Amino acid sequence: MTISPELRSEIEYLVNCYALAIDDGELERWPEFFASDCLYKIIAKENFDSGLPLGLLLCDSQGMLQDRMEAFSKLNVFGPRSWRHMLGAVHATGSEAEIVARTSFVIFETLAGKDTHILCAGEYRDIIIREDGMLKFRERLCVYDTTMIPNSIVRPI
Amino acid sequence: MGEALLSWPDGNDRVPYWIYTDQGNYERELEKIFYGPVWNYVGLECEIPNSGDFKRTQIGDQSIIVVRDAEGGVNALVNRCAHRGVKLCEQDKGSFSEIMCPYHQWTYDLKGNLQGVPFHRGVKGNGGMPADFSMADNGLDVLKVHVRNGGIFATMSDETPSFESCMGERILGYYDRELDGRTLSLLGHSRQRIGANWKLMLENIKDTHHASLLHVFFVTFGLFRVDNDSRVEMDDTGLHTALSSIRGKQELNDGTAQMRSFDSDLALNDPNLLDVVREFPGDETVVMQTLWPNVILQQQSNTLATRQIVPKGPNAFELHWTFFGYEDDDEEMTARRLRQANLMGPAGLVSMDDGQILERTQEGILAHPDEQGVVELGGRDTDDADHMVTEVALRAFYKGYRKVMGL
Ligand code: FES
Ligand SMILES: [Fe+2]
Repeated sequence: MTISPELRSEIEYLVNCYALAIDDGELERWPEFFASDCLYKIIAKENFDSGLPLGLLLCDSQGMLQDRMEAFSKLNVFGPRSWRHMLGAVHATGSEAEIVARTSFVIFETLAGKDTHILCAGEYRDIIIREDGMLKFRERLCVYDTTMIPNSIVRPI
Repeated sequence: MGEALLSWPDGNDRVPYWIYTDQGNYERELEKIFYGPVWNYVGLECEIPNSGDFKRTQIGDQSIIVVRDAEGGVNALVNRCAHRGVKLCEQDKGSFSEIMCPYHQWTYDLKGNLQGVPFHRGVKGNGGMPADFSMADNGLDVLKVHVRNGGIFATMSDETPSFESCMGERILGYYDRELDGRTLSLLGHSRQRIGANWKLMLENIKDTHHASLLHVFFVTFGLFRVDNDSRVEMDDTGLHTALSSIRGKQELNDGTAQMRSFDSDLALNDPNLLDVVREFPGDETVVMQTLWPNVILQQQSNTLATRQIVPKGPNAFELHWTFFGYEDDDEEMTARRLRQANLMGPAGLVSMDDGQILERTQEGILAHPDEQGVVELGGRDTDDADHMVTEVALRAFYKGYRKVMGL
């Protein structure tokens, strides 16, 4: 089973567009990156490595992604900030039917009037499928190494 | 700032801002509170289920190893080699059968007793420890430990009264409601650093009415709101608080009409998040306990957690969340707890707001140590209340704090 160069660039495009949409603040697009049957979870590496299930954020349906997106956009209270995802090279294996991808990330956060800091560093562990002709995340685990989150994570990562 | 300025205004309805910012006051807090006659929360037994399991934690500025020994007992040891002071344990958690310092390989058993010193008797007749060197006197510093229904507490002082008398009967009643003797199962940890004084975290939970105003999510879905049936109860010292409340409806009434953040039309696309089942005796749907000095024991719907507060100087603290369930939970219950965990933690639908607002509080008061905050909602007394339109738990808290600190 190999990933063709065309498929590889399509995967990279998906991973890139996802990060850009968040950094651009287009959160309403966030659920569109996921398959109709999906799992999104931000999980601390300490939990992931010990087999503990707790997520920092967990959405196991399109509805939950929508609800989270609306909470981030309208309900929660936080100050203005910029986010910048820095992505490593995408490592993709598996087959066209079910792609397994891993990508390192670092997120820089800049709060109004303050120094830029690292919000978290970690790795996306994705399962990607094709749905209606488009690649979508069926599963996106964001496993973060950061021991102490600086205050809060106020958007999806 | 000068000592003369560090005074308390008259009455319990004002809180001076220097207590959140002054380095000298912070150092006195370490001595009088965290290293004093209190029971510090250090973890849950389900984090260290087997002999040899350990976790690293902190009391005040000190690093502490909490470990289960071969006999099944729980010990709390200061994480500092008795020889030359090396920090013994760097991992957050794990398992070991003895503790060995990498520097000169002094070894300790899991109760902190010194077991071995290399070259103790010298080499080829040279060196070695003096004949009167006492192994027994050179073990690790050991804290007194108390375990109650799965919760682990430790104290550094010999003067600390029993755990039960420190908590008082009514707080113990709430404690035992959540930690009821069933074996706990660990779901995981979250950790965040918040740029605010550690007391502001306790206050945030004791401040019942903010939840109705700041937290749109709580307000809208009635999880915690001023118009809910509620109680605010303190122990005799005023330092511990239990808040309990019964979930209200998503309806427009006298209370919700005054909340600008109330939205009667908001609906969840996936109602599974709030698929709450009743699991405790009584009608309360939420009980939040602030246990002096360093932990919040939480039951909000079906999400159960401890939040350990680790102070980091006057202007920051870490919040270590431990989410748990019970060993007899079925798969559905575990899934429910994990979904509801979305309310809490560093990305919590609700608690995200708190992390943000606490940092803004610190930023607001930082340059104004001589000013003071107003805590008059619900009167100026420090008595229990049967509603949450009150700041009484803050007044009671600072009455107790002043006594402990001699202010
Ligand atoms: S400092 Fe630990 S053995 Fe010497
Ligand atoms: Fe809050």
